[in-house]
Amino acid sequence: MRLFIKKALLIPLVLLLTGMAVMAQTRVTGTVKDGSTGEMLIGATIKEKNVNNGAITDVEGRFVLTVASTNATLVVNYTGYTELEIPLNGRTEVTIDLSDNNNLINEVVVIGYGTQRKSDLTGAIGTVKAKDIEKIPTASVEQALQGKVAGVYVSPASGEPGRGATIRIRGTGTLNNASPLYVVDGMLLDDITFLNPQDVASIEVLKDASATAIYGNRGSNGVILITTKQGTGNTRPVVSLSTSYGSQSIARKLPLANAAQFAEMYNELKGNNYFPDPAALGTGTDWQDEVFQTAPMGNIQLGVAGMKKKFAYNVSGNYFNQEGILKETGFKRMTGRFNGDYAVHKQVKIGANLALSNELRDNVGGGVIGGIYRIPPVFAPRDSTGDFTDPTFFGQSIGNPAADLFYKNDNTTRVQRYVGTLYATWNLYKYFTLKTNFGFDRRNERFYNFEPIFEVSSSQLNNLERTTRDTVKERTWLLENTLNFDRAWDKVRIGAVVGQTAQEYTYFKRNTVNEVLQPNGEQRRDRAMISYLSRVNAVFFDRYLVTASLRADGSSRFSRDNRWGYFPSAAVGWNVAQEPFMEGQKIFDRLKLRASWGVTGNDKIQDYPSLGIISDELYASFNDTVQPGATLVNYANADIRWETTEQTDIGLEFALFKGRLSAEIDWYRRFTYDILSDLPIPDYVGSGSNPFVNAAQVENTGWDMTLQWRESRRKWGYNFTAIYSPVKNKVLQLNEGKSEIFDGRTAQGDFATRTIVGQPIGAFYGYQTAGIFQNEEEIASSPVFGNEQPGDFKFADLNGDGKLDAQDRTYLGSPIPTLTYGFSAGFDAFGFDVSADFFGVQGNKVVNAKAVARFDTPNWETLWYENRWTGEGTSNTVPRVTNGGHNYRMSDFLIEDGSFLRLRSIVLGYTLPKQPAKKIGLSHARVYISGTNLWTRQSYSGFTPEFPNDSVFRAGMDFLNYPMAKMMNFGLDVRF
Amino acid sequence: MKIHKLLLTITLLASGCQKDFLDRRPPGELTFEEFFQNADQAVQATNAVYEQYRSFDLAALSYIGCTDILSDDADKGSTANDAPLLSDLDNFTMDATNPYVAPLYKGHYRAIARANVAIEGIAAVETMDETLRSRLIGECKFLRAYSYFLLVQWFGDLVLVTKTLQGDEYYAQSRQPKEAIYAQIEQDLKDAAAVLPEKDGYPASEKGRATKAAAKGLLAKLYMLKKDWASAEAQCMDIINGGKYSLLTRYADNFLPVGENGTESVFEIQTVALETQQAAGPGSSPYNMVQGVRGVPNLGWGFNRPSDNLVSSYENGDPRREATIIYVGEILPDGSTQVKDNPEIINERYNQKAWVPAHSGLQDNGPGNIRVLRYSDILLLAAEAKNELGKSGEALPLINLVRKRARGTNNFILPDVTITDQTQLRERIYRERRVELAMEQHRWFDLVRWGRAETVMTALGKSFVANKHEVLPIPQTEVDLTSGKVTQNNGY
Repeated sequence: MRLFIKKALLIPLVLLLTGMAVMAQTRVTGTVKDGSTGEMLIGATIKEKNVNNGAITDVEGRFVLTVASTNATLVVNYTGYTELEIPLNGRTEVTIDLSDNNNLINEVVVIGYGTQRKSDLTGAIGTVKAKDIEKIPTASVEQALQGKVAGVYVSPASGEPGRGATIRIRGTGTLNNASPLYVVDGMLLDDITFLNPQDVASIEVLKDASATAIYGNRGSNGVILITTKQGTGNTRPVVSLSTSYGSQSIARKLPLANAAQFAEMYNELKGNNYFPDPAALGTGTDWQDEVFQTAPMGNIQLGVAGMKKKFAYNVSGNYFNQEGILKETGFKRMTGRFNGDYAVHKQVKIGANLALSNELRDNVGGGVIGGIYRIPPVFAPRDSTGDFTDPTFFGQSIGNPAADLFYKNDNTTRVQRYVGTLYATWNLYKYFTLKTNFGFDRRNERFYNFEPIFEVSSSQLNNLERTTRDTVKERTWLLENTLNFDRAWDKVRIGAVVGQTAQEYTYFKRNTVNEVLQPNGEQRRDRAMISYLSRVNAVFFDRYLVTASLRADGSSRFSRDNRWGYFPSAAVGWNVAQEPFMEGQKIFDRLKLRASWGVTGNDKIQDYPSLGIISDELYASFNDTVQPGATLVNYANADIRWETTEQTDIGLEFALFKGRLSAEIDWYRRFTYDILSDLPIPDYVGSGSNPFVNAAQVENTGWDMTLQWRESRRKWGYNFTAIYSPVKNKVLQLNEGKSEIFDGRTAQGDFATRTIVGQPIGAFYGYQTAGIFQNEEEIASSPVFGNEQPGDFKFADLNGDGKLDAQDRTYLGSPIPTLTYGFSAGFDAFGFDVSADFFGVQGNKVVNAKAVARFDTPNWETLWYENRWTGEGTSNTVPRVTNGGHNYRMSDFLIEDGSFLRLRSIVLGYTLPKQPAKKIGLSHARVYISGTNLWTRQSYSGFTPEFPNDSVFRAGMDFLNYPMAKMMNFGLDVRF
Repeated sequence: MKIHKLLLTITLLASGCQKDFLDRRPPGELTFEEFFQNADQAVQATNAVYEQYRSFDLAALSYIGCTDILSDDADKGSTANDAPLLSDLDNFTMDATNPYVAPLYKGHYRAIARANVAIEGIAAVETMDETLRSRLIGECKFLRAYSYFLLVQWFGDLVLVTKTLQGDEYYAQSRQPKEAIYAQIEQDLKDAAAVLPEKDGYPASEKGRATKAAAKGLLAKLYMLKKDWASAEAQCMDIINGGKYSLLTRYADNFLPVGENGTESVFEIQTVALETQQAAGPGSSPYNMVQGVRGVPNLGWGFNRPSDNLVSSYENGDPRREATIIYVGEILPDGSTQVKDNPEIINERYNQKAWVPAHSGLQDNGPGNIRVLRYSDILLLAAEAKNELGKSGEALPLINLVRKRARGTNNFILPDVTITDQTQLRERIYRERRVELAMEQHRWFDLVRWGRAETVMTALGKSFVANKHEVLPIPQTEVDLTSGKVTQNNGY
């Protein structure tokens, strides 16, 4: 197979050498107008597909273009409208209706290594357009995706300024890094924090294997294709300016005991009157108010787009500044973008998409957020002499968060990143186009932290002035050569692509303290990948669609024997509405059935998992000097191999009532085997870390449904969209002969999750509470661990053997939502627009793991105060006051409902009508006010039931993170 | 990215030589296949085993928690609210999830794994000095035996790992009877004793490495545990008759820098506080910090408080009490500071044997060697073995040697023991062992070995349960991960 692909690659080379054929030319004339208003569109670009000759409509919407033949396809673009492809099919005169969104038949979407008419798609692809993204004021493209595409679950990592989000496409397949692949203008990336959402023209989410298999090795978790805004066809440059300003505050505070409540509970804990009069302490300090703030955020973007002769360009600059709702944190980012392409020759086009970003992230060291949860409210931040108060009496590990904010705020991370692609396309001969794409990603990170000498307490102090500097340099390059074939006959259209790619990544890190290189202070890593790809899609009679693809990938992460993975896919589609028997019917504007099957892979784990790397700097001391030591500490797994996902998808698309009602419904089954994970191994093995293994087989089955009602008239319009994605996750098999996998430790060391066949991955596992022991007699007559006292939890003896031990633990719920859904509604009339987006999940549980502390639990949640046991008959739900131990065992007491429904955004805007706008020199002017995360319904007691996690084996556990922010923004967009 | 590299890549792709492009090794680092090529690497792999014993897992709260604090020598110490789950060990209310038990289990198995890697690897080094080769393997076997010896006393039956486990073996192990562990320890120590040099057989630069006497001493301890008195006696007498060791004149000097690796020292975990700006330097341990005076002066966390029972167990005027315990109001051994009362701790005391004078770096840059085996320990083991063998007459001079040294120049205290009745002498030896070795992490193992843990701990009001608390719980995570193949200890 490899040999075959290599031979296929020789063909373009031969063509290169033998030169080009001469072509006939045809003149085409036409007009472009707005489909709904009939208004002629001035300045729309018309290009011949795959060739860079273009024309622009004049003041009457007319254009003239010379094309290679009457079989050519025209590509029509106009700012604010969906790109259209019009096959001439022999015509020399055409009238083109551009429409805001209704013209779905000929809408073009970006697919891997090419574009395709939406109607010809056989894969499940969700599309998000620029205007839907612009609504959410965020620095992160991922955050803007939440609730936009069925089957895409976006959970914001935190409200921390500038942070991205965790994205899961179609449930949780892998146990490991389940993030999708991002492809920005052809560059394959894992991290897109450099990308400014306002530069994005469209996002395509590839969900099924028919769409993702062309990215084989990296397609397992779905692919997100991002196209940035390109130069328009206007000869007169379009200048756009948009700016917004707003403020954020904490969306929800933690319910914690106040000073009087704390003192009362502390007295009960100690069995004495340490606080003689708790009530006199009043509310004390609300530490959350001490560290959180209302913080401003602002954004300004300036762009110029246009076309000069054969040079189309789009240049933009952006400044984003967000202060954090946690004091002393913030994020500033400047981004610049240049997208340009130039027709060197009729058949040759060169182009570049270049982005640079400069970020400054302000952090605060220490455990401020952990601190506010645990510090007793009986302290003021500072005592009467102005010194920071010392809370260590209540526990060695408690620091004063106000002191951390004061002493540890000189902490910054600067990131410079250059990401881009340089490409050349060469229309070799009629239907053949050769493309060479060189992509790069250079990232330089500088971390700086200065800690002065200070002493708040014996555990919160710094005896040495300390300046820490970390430098990280990451370099990636990607080289892709593809040959496309695109031909339309009367009854048949064929598109095909073959290609080869190579990619290399290098990493370097250097860590110094007070300018001295630290032990193991320099690290280097690298990895590489080589791939061969191919795909054919064919459309017969505009209604029978077939796609097949194959990709072969070699990954340096695996040993020679396990290196190559082969990822095929096949799909069929049927545009029923195009059938002759459907002619004349008035119901369906569109009706399509499709089915696909394909295989994708995943190798996204640490580098060199199959090589045991010698750890050094293991010094032994002899004769009061040290000698170097080195050995194998962290075991490797030489047999590690690809993780593989097989996905089947059956889809139905239809549009009714002149396109007002449209729907896409997909059923899918994702079967993932040889899942890669660093599972915990027994301690007796003696490895310093857990080697990656091919751990299990998992199945996700689910539905993705999108339903849309949209009506657009001359002066008003409205739309309603709902997405609904139920998913079931089930473990089918565990490898290595294991019957169960434990993970997710609480601070007391208990495992919180157990994965077994038949249950969801990472299901919660622990004891079931059966009330509270009310008295000694009850303890004496019940199975116990042995140290229980009245007021402690009674756990259920589930196996009924009369004693309580680890065998009595049970399934306590799943961290994976069984349903994600969203709905949005918009209405516009006479220039005003209003829209709202809701997003929710259901069916998942979360663990309030923050309540289990390592050494002690000095502060308690209000719920515990209100319902705690204080004597016989007082409570059967919340135990007596203890700090650590029995009552903090992993049990259903720590489990809470993870469902929530959130008003993700609400926007009210006004767009100036075209005529008055023109008078003041503007082609477009809009003002808006938007609210983000303003309302959430959740039953979970923490900040939010969404937490960042590195592995689905330990997902859904709240160890306290930067809280969610709600925001109000005011913005202005104008175009000249 | 250099342009020539890109061109190279294109060439590689065209010619189909992707193999090299995809063969990646960590730049600047060695992989296991590239290791064990020479004597230097053999030494480094051995050194890496020693390194493990300075770790927080093995030299801090867990270590003192599961030895002194567990025994009648010490209470938890520190403030009442600090590390409450350490009190569970003090009070015998710990369960299988106690966070201070697991680090010992994990840490010692990691030391064992490093020893296994070294033993296999050093044997495979193609060319190196054969004397060095066998010495290094001997050191690793000694350290492996040391770890197993502690583990078997703490946990009883154990998973026995004597080679580097492969992926398919990770979850497949089960516990072997403790007799099998004893046999492995015995074999390792015999092998080590056969090849290790005596203390003076090492160059000065290697001072602190495991010696022949260390292996014999540990072997004697193993035989004592097995009640194989004759073998224990033989090992002890080998050391005593070897004449390489003697008691220091001053008992207290054993625990001061001057006593480190002195004539009385048979084996110590070596540490050093090198000049460093970082908190914990490359040769240090947290052992001194966790037991250091808490308050004024601020030397540490104040755990491991010598108990009332220990204080009252000394004979009148025994100077060893003063040398073992730091009291409030006492001037520190270097004359630097007076220890002030800490209002947050009631009736505090500290382990003077873990005290170190001012040193570079911070508290966790602890420079004090952890004394594992002293000559007086060997003398008392010999005395105990002889008494059990009915040779009380031969036991007396040995115990009196220890008492004489303790007495110093003060002839009014600690008179020589003259009892020859086996039962009575046993009691005297037991008490002598306690006070001589107090707060040196031996007491708990002695109590269990003597079968006295229940009597002693119950008398102190601890909720000790016989046939349960003689051993610690196996960490629950270990039972979980092996789906019960690693069984839990009785009662936990």
